[in-house]
Amino acid sequence: MSDNGFEPQITAFMCIYCGYMAADTAGALRIPYPANVKLVKLPCTGKTDPRYILQAFEEGADGVYVVACPVGNCHHVRGNERGYARVQRTKKLLDAIGLGGERLEMFFMSGGQGQAFADAAKEMTERIRSLGPSPIKERVNELTG
Amino acid sequence: MAVNHENPEGAVLVVGGGIGGMRAAIDLAEAGLKVYLVEREAGLGGRVAQLGYMFPTHDCVLCRGTSDHGYGCTRPAISPAFVDHNLHPNIEIMTRTEIVDASGQAGDFTVTLRHHPRYVSVERCTNCGLCAAVCPVRLPSEFQEALVTRMAIHKSAPRSFPDAYYVDKGDYCTDCRRCQAVCPTGAVNLDEEAWDEQVHVSAVILAVGYRLSDAGALEEFGYGRYPNVVHSMQYERYVSRSGPTEGLLLRPSDNQPPKRIAWLQCIGSRDQEHPYCSSICCMYATKEAVLAKQRVEGVHCQVFMMDERAFNKEYNAYFHRSCQEYGVQYTRCRISDLWEDPQTHDLILHYPGEDGKMKEERFDMVVLSVGVQPPAGAEALARALGFNLNEYGFCRTDTFNPLETSQPGIYVCGAFASPKEIAETIIDAAGAAGDVMRLFHDQLGGRPSSREYPFLSRGDFPPERDVSGQPPRVGVFVCRCYPSIEGAVDIERLLERAREYPHVVYAADVGYGCFPEGLAAIKQAIADHDLNRVVVAACSHRTHESLFQRTVREAGLNAYLVEMANIREHCAWVHAQEPEAATRKAMELVRMAVGRASALQPVYKTAVQPVRRALIIGGGVAGMTAALAIADAGFDVTLVERSEALGGHLHDIHYVVEGYNPQRLLRDLVNRVRGHTRIDVYTRTEVVEHSGRVGNYRAVLRRQDGRQEVVTHGVTIVATGGQEARGSRYLLGKHPRVITQLELEEAITSRLDEIARLKDVVMIQCVRPEDSEGRSALPPYCSRICCTSTIKNALRIKVANPDCRVTVLYKDIITYGFREQYYTEARRRGVLFVRYDEENEPVVESLNGDPSTSSERRLRVTVQEPMLRRPMVIEPDLLVLSMAIEPAQGSAELARLLKVPLSHEGFFLEAHIKMRPMDFMEEGIFVCGMAHYPKFIEESISHALATAGRAITILAKEPFYIGGTVAVVDQTKCMGCLTCVRVCPFHIPRVDPHRVGAGGIAGASYIEPALCHGCGTCTAECPATAIQLVNYTDTQIMVPEMPVLGSWVSV
Repeated sequence: MSDNGFEPQITAFMCIYCGYMAADTAGALRIPYPANVKLVKLPCTGKTDPRYILQAFEEGADGVYVVACPVGNCHHVRGNERGYARVQRTKKLLDAIGLGGERLEMFFMSGGQGQAFADAAKEMTERIRSLGPSPIKERVNELTG
Repeated sequence: MAVNHENPEGAVLVVGGGIGGMRAAIDLAEAGLKVYLVEREAGLGGRVAQLGYMFPTHDCVLCRGTSDHGYGCTRPAISPAFVDHNLHPNIEIMTRTEIVDASGQAGDFTVTLRHHPRYVSVERCTNCGLCAAVCPVRLPSEFQEALVTRMAIHKSAPRSFPDAYYVDKGDYCTDCRRCQAVCPTGAVNLDEEAWDEQVHVSAVILAVGYRLSDAGALEEFGYGRYPNVVHSMQYERYVSRSGPTEGLLLRPSDNQPPKRIAWLQCIGSRDQEHPYCSSICCMYATKEAVLAKQRVEGVHCQVFMMDERAFNKEYNAYFHRSCQEYGVQYTRCRISDLWEDPQTHDLILHYPGEDGKMKEERFDMVVLSVGVQPPAGAEALARALGFNLNEYGFCRTDTFNPLETSQPGIYVCGAFASPKEIAETIIDAAGAAGDVMRLFHDQLGGRPSSREYPFLSRGDFPPERDVSGQPPRVGVFVCRCYPSIEGAVDIERLLERAREYPHVVYAADVGYGCFPEGLAAIKQAIADHDLNRVVVAACSHRTHESLFQRTVREAGLNAYLVEMANIREHCAWVHAQEPEAATRKAMELVRMAVGRASALQPVYKTAVQPVRRALIIGGGVAGMTAALAIADAGFDVTLVERSEALGGHLHDIHYVVEGYNPQRLLRDLVNRVRGHTRIDVYTRTEVVEHSGRVGNYRAVLRRQDGRQEVVTHGVTIVATGGQEARGSRYLLGKHPRVITQLELEEAITSRLDEIARLKDVVMIQCVRPEDSEGRSALPPYCSRICCTSTIKNALRIKVANPDCRVTVLYKDIITYGFREQYYTEARRRGVLFVRYDEENEPVVESLNGDPSTSSERRLRVTVQEPMLRRPMVIEPDLLVLSMAIEPAQGSAELARLLKVPLSHEGFFLEAHIKMRPMDFMEEGIFVCGMAHYPKFIEESISHALATAGRAITILAKEPFYIGGTVAVVDQTKCMGCLTCVRVCPFHIPRVDPHRVGAGGIAGASYIEPALCHGCGTCTAECPATAIQLVNYTDTQIMVPEMPVLGSWVSV
């Protein structure tokens, strides 16, 4: 399925409301998407801690994204907007350390949007595939031989 | 009413499983009553499940329907009480069931129910979908309003409740039996037959909703003939994220985004055949137009309407935003027909332009704003249960008993009583539940339920094993769920790999983990292998987590020690074509779950006994009604009223348009409140302090003479009411011939002879007071009741003197629901209605000299007549102003005291305008009556009963539980920086000067567990990482011992 033989390993954080539900809906409607994404549930994307994102990269993720309820529809009113601000901050941090902010993204979708969930997984898989493996992983591999 | 208490269970039958029925069922169940929730369709949710967005909030958030933590989301559930495998233990749901007969009386009804077969066992259906794949019969989808198709065997919606298929076995079903043959669990039985059952119930609540007007009935609009004419519910499906296009707005004929859309209002409302207003269409059309503007760039949206009825909180502001910010165009015209251009399928409308000349315009899509009609089967239901319908075919109610039918013991809520929107349906439903609770007070709490665990239960479990200090012993259970998981994932390899993961001491497959045999196997293995953490690799947390939490709890483990890996929805179902990739992903998902499970810790909630007393602030109709309901239910009430007498605004109302006597209601309420042994009345008293939390509040009351008293209570209800604004607009208070509608009502009551001598009366609607600089002192909002009051008084004048000319100058006539008949009646009796707009407000002049000195002074009113386009000049004997209703004085101070918010209009702002119209965000404080928004007496009564019902669910708890997934501050790390205070979406954290923070410095954050919603925002922002979210601690997410966030397991 890949163009360059590289299968990215992507971590998606999602809230247990719309984000998780959109993934469930994609399943219920049997909408296929690349099997390169693993899902970590959070009570709300307001819980998205930049440390979790950085930890994911440190542990070898090639890309990370966050799936939240649509703006205005957050179960916790504004948690997703708080999470978004932190994702933006973390993108800058990734730029600064040379990892590249484009390896991190945030998506907003309603629980009914199975197609949107599949599209996000596709978009991120393609993006990360074209970016290549995370430089951190390569460096760790070099160091550990 | 005599109540026969022969039924020991005190069961209640709730008919209709839409938003109203669900709300009533939850409240009754929480109060400890048994509920049968009967729904005619195959799934719950009703109309609301089809709506992607609500007005004016533009959200869906059915998940915020209650204050519960956990999976509340989403359609059709409004609470975790309707999540699969977590049904409230007091609620029994019966789908595809109807009422065929009933006998008995209040307190002792025997109701015969007919259960129509689903042909698919809810218990055995795993949603694998094989049946639908082989079904040869394709039919229009009801859920998607025929925009797409579905099979004869299908689910009513992708996330239906119950979460199972059913067979629509009409004549079109070929009885090929392929579904039955293919079902892997034997869930399909096409030979099932309808069967009858009798239930004994104390009371019945009707929440059967409404039927949409038939868009095709008015042939002149071409619905069904012209592809681009759709009805409003079809449009809702187009823009809904769960619709057939996931929210893409396309016109049906060519699937292109529309460029010009017209909404035609009052289709099936306010006409000869349906002489009432459907109440919801103005606002939903506004919402639909705004959604189009947001989705389709440059789209022209035009709404053709008679009046814009934006008569609720925030609605007017929403309407103005739609015009000014989004550019939705509103044209006052009732379109009588339309034509299609057969080449382009465009639609051609004729209507009078600004200059009065007819013009022709093309639209590429037309939406018919269909109205609300009585639900199908209303007559049969009325016959079976023996209650009366009104002249429109809706349920007949009495104005001052708005939730009671003509049959004692049978209540009604929602659109079946009169057309209404979601928030009012929820108020009605909670109110009907409250009314039932007061009636069957001796049965309250008879079936206690517990929220001690993350799932709903009766709390009767074996003692818990203490696993603290033990190293994790993880058991992994992989559900084969044939064909769903097994079809894509190599179960044997997955198990083999799982056994290699740290702490895993046992791994096994189960056929169907959710079936009794699967659950028994899990429990047995927990005992046999001394497991203290459990991973279930199966389906969604959302649907099944409660089930496995319950299972491990039954096996003696803390319910928080189980973790699920979703290898079905998130893996097998979406990677079915790539078994190798699916197996690898399943291995990784299981590894992550094992990592998290190893880090899980037991969680215990705190039990709290509520103080069984309610504090009610405000002694008007709302406060007194709530007080009586709570006191009748057996709880103490402290009723605080600022003025010297109970009754509030009701003192000024002498008659209502329906003809009932509000003064009799007032006397009755005051007498009952004064005589009730459980109600302590404090007049000339104010609340000056309020602290504590749900179940245990403390308030300080101060009497006018300065004496203070302390009251401790479990809940607080705000019922402080509203008042008619004053000011000097249109010479009010400066000219003897200018009075307000309340003053006119007083004059009609006490000096009718004077009124009968009047020859010319002008009434001006929508008058807002001005400040000293001539600006409006109130934001523009509709006071909701004034149009009806004006028409009520105009009719009285016309009865007293038919020759008197009565001219009403208005912006929009707001006679929603059945009040439309009085508007019709007023016009029939010759009352003149002349519209003005904000640019052309009427001008009122005093004709001679100092206006205050003589009653002989004359007045001149000039207004631009919109039809004639010329000024119209009247010199009336009397000018009557409909003054805005403003919040009671002191509302802002009280809001500060209670730490609850106000809306931009200055009224108290509830937790959610649509979903929680009687709750504040803070559990335990409620609002009702005009303190919430201007409303009619009957609406205040419903609202008061709703708060009473909600209050009783807390007061009747024994005990209730707080805590669970909440944020906890380690104060030794807290710097008191206020970050948590600033970022919390619910304003819960406080820096408490009495707590000692890091470095021994006074002032550390405290997060009240009874109030925390558990979103974790503060934990992610705290710069000192001093806050942890229980069950989602950093250790449990990052799992340092076993890195789970980054690289995947290698194959």
